[in-house]
Amino acid sequence: MQTETPFGDFTQSEEVVRAEDLRKTFTLSRKQQRLEHTSFPRKVAVDGLSFSAYRGEIYGLLGPNGAGKTTTLRMLSTLISPDSGDAFVCGHSVRRAPHKVRDAIGFMTSELKLEGFFTPSYLFDFFGAMHGVEKGVLAARKEELFARFGIDRFAEVKVKDLSTGMLQKVSLVISIVHDPAVVIFDEPTNGLDVLTAKVVTDFLAELKNMGKSILLSTHIFSLVEKLCDRVGIIIDGKMAADGTLADICGGMSIEERFFEVYRSIKGETV
Amino acid sequence: MKLLALMKKEFRRFFGDPKLLITMILPGLLIYLIYTVMGSAIFGGDEQAKYSFKVYVSGESQAVQLIDAAVQKSGHEAEYVYLPAEGVDEETARREVKAGEATALLVFSEGFDGAIADTDASDAMPSALLCYHSEDAASSAFASLAGAVLDAYGRSFVFTMQNSAEAADIAQTMVAGILPMLIVVFVFSACMSVTLESVAGEKERGTLSTILVTSARRTDIALGKVLPLSCVSLMGAASSFLGVVLSLPTLMGISVDAAVAGVSALGYVLLFLLIVSVVPLIVGAIAAVSTLSRTVKEASGYTSVLMILMMVLSIVTAFVSGIGDWVVAVPVLNAVVAMQGILTGAMQVWMCLVAVAVNLVYTALLVLLIARLLSSERVMFGK
Ligand SMILES: Nc1ncnc2c1ncn2[C@@H]1O[C@H](COP(=O)(O)OP(=O)(O)O)[C@@H](O)[C@H]1O
Ligand SMILES: [Mg+2]
Repeated sequence: MQTETPFGDFTQSEEVVRAEDLRKTFTLSRKQQRLEHTSFPRKVAVDGLSFSAYRGEIYGLLGPNGAGKTTTLRMLSTLISPDSGDAFVCGHSVRRAPHKVRDAIGFMTSELKLEGFFTPSYLFDFFGAMHGVEKGVLAARKEELFARFGIDRFAEVKVKDLSTGMLQKVSLVISIVHDPAVVIFDEPTNGLDVLTAKVVTDFLAELKNMGKSILLSTHIFSLVEKLCDRVGIIIDGKMAADGTLADICGGMSIEERFFEVYRSIKGETV
Repeated sequence: MKLLALMKKEFRRFFGDPKLLITMILPGLLIYLIYTVMGSAIFGGDEQAKYSFKVYVSGESQAVQLIDAAVQKSGHEAEYVYLPAEGVDEETARREVKAGEATALLVFSEGFDGAIADTDASDAMPSALLCYHSEDAASSAFASLAGAVLDAYGRSFVFTMQNSAEAADIAQTMVAGILPMLIVVFVFSACMSVTLESVAGEKERGTLSTILVTSARRTDIALGKVLPLSCVSLMGAASSFLGVVLSLPTLMGISVDAAVAGVSALGYVLLFLLIVSVVPLIVGAIAAVSTLSRTVKEASGYTSVLMILMMVLSIVTAFVSGIGDWVVAVPVLNAVVAMQGILTGAMQVWMCLVAVAVNLVYTALLVLLIARLLSSERVMFGK
């Protein structure tokens, strides 16, 4: 299948993200040890994770809480660095070329916020400048994206006065201000009410139509079924199953399949 | 380019928000109001006070009558003792003025009035001398009255006002000892409100991480905070500083002129440079602490400790004499000591300049430290 994008023609199987044997271990403080109910001072969060995501597809990392999804996405976004292994985004190593990786990705999570004092228009320009986007290009992109996602009427309203749904849209649009090839999204609908969650899922579908590659993490089965082309089931920092949604499910629902995988690894303790 | 955008955003944040601007300017205004009210409560008597002056006069002049008229018009009264009087000569009169037993001594050269009237006199220039003691409120009051009269009395004579107070007076030591400490405190609190809100606030609200996801360099992000915040803090510090300086006279019952009479133009320039060098240093320190802290509350806790430490050290330096030159290597304290030097008339230019340079170097190191902290996953993304 061929798709038209700003990057020109390409085949669907082009690899845009490749994780190679990623490992990350955290040293736990006393307090963290207590919270985690362990007396072991080290926690292996990601344990030799490898997978590939492809251009124009939505890849979902599916796993329970504490499986290592956030840690993995943070390593791919260069916010933290792997203890060993490496990952490549559009061919740039997160270890050796973190700046190039940052310009190639848009990173979203509910923890990343915008300053309420400023307007969407100002913040769009500001983050454009942070990514070194040229002024003329930035203006054109702002007009297009604001119109496409219905932000134009709110462009000059202070962020703190926006509705939750509109604020979410603004955050999403600003995360792609530099037209990244890959969008990384940690728990896209976590903590959102149903209406705002729909804004997000619609946005992701629209991004895919625009030809973007998306890498998201979630523990919500319906989200995977609705959006993802490819899924990786991650349990205890390890990849338990990885492939296209159809291949993984093999006729089952993703929920059934997930618990089957989970039981095969952890025993009948669900 | 990215640095510029970061700095612009910071400025816009402050100048776009009247509330923040007011919190910057308000302390100075309040200090001035409070201290002025407090000062006049303590020294309030001065302005309405009715003094009985005891003035020694040596030589003769109609000016004495004019002075007396001015004295009475101001509601005071004066007794004039012409010298030589019983057991009093000029020397003893001087001593009495200094000891506060007499108000002042007026000395006119021989034939003073005649010499002034006789414009083409080829004799020596006539002269008048007013000897007073600025530490004594009555003496100061008389000196300003008599000085004004004599200034207007004629042009062609030499008029000298002689203050018998010691050069390094108590007033001056007070100002010199306390002013630098006050400056540091006000600079610190100005920096504190701005920086805590901007750095710790942004970290707590999660907006700082949003910038970390972009390809902006960490040093740019750190500088983009420290530079604009320093400018804004400098404004706040200037406001507080002016408040203090303007209220010092009423607060201490002395005139600022008297206290800083010995400060030259160069002294003022150095004073200003020292303050300017301390601001980014303190902003940098608070920004570093803020980056390390999880919340504004945590950061303000650590910052208060820092502030108290600086206050104590500043006071100690004011009253401990003979601190070695090594102090120039100690950030902030070097500026305090250098400022004390300027205000006591013992200015050491090299020390001021080295202190400024040293503080700027420390600031640069702090910026690098903040950049390091921003890239530390434990600091930014630790649980
Ligand atoms: N900064 C950190 N310090 C210590 N432990 C951490 C840190 N971040 C994550 N962890 C631990 O690593 C494991 C994986 O966490 P995370 O990647 O957030 O999982 P997920 O996003 O899948 O819920 C968890 O046990 C978590 O407690
Ligand atoms: Mg998570």
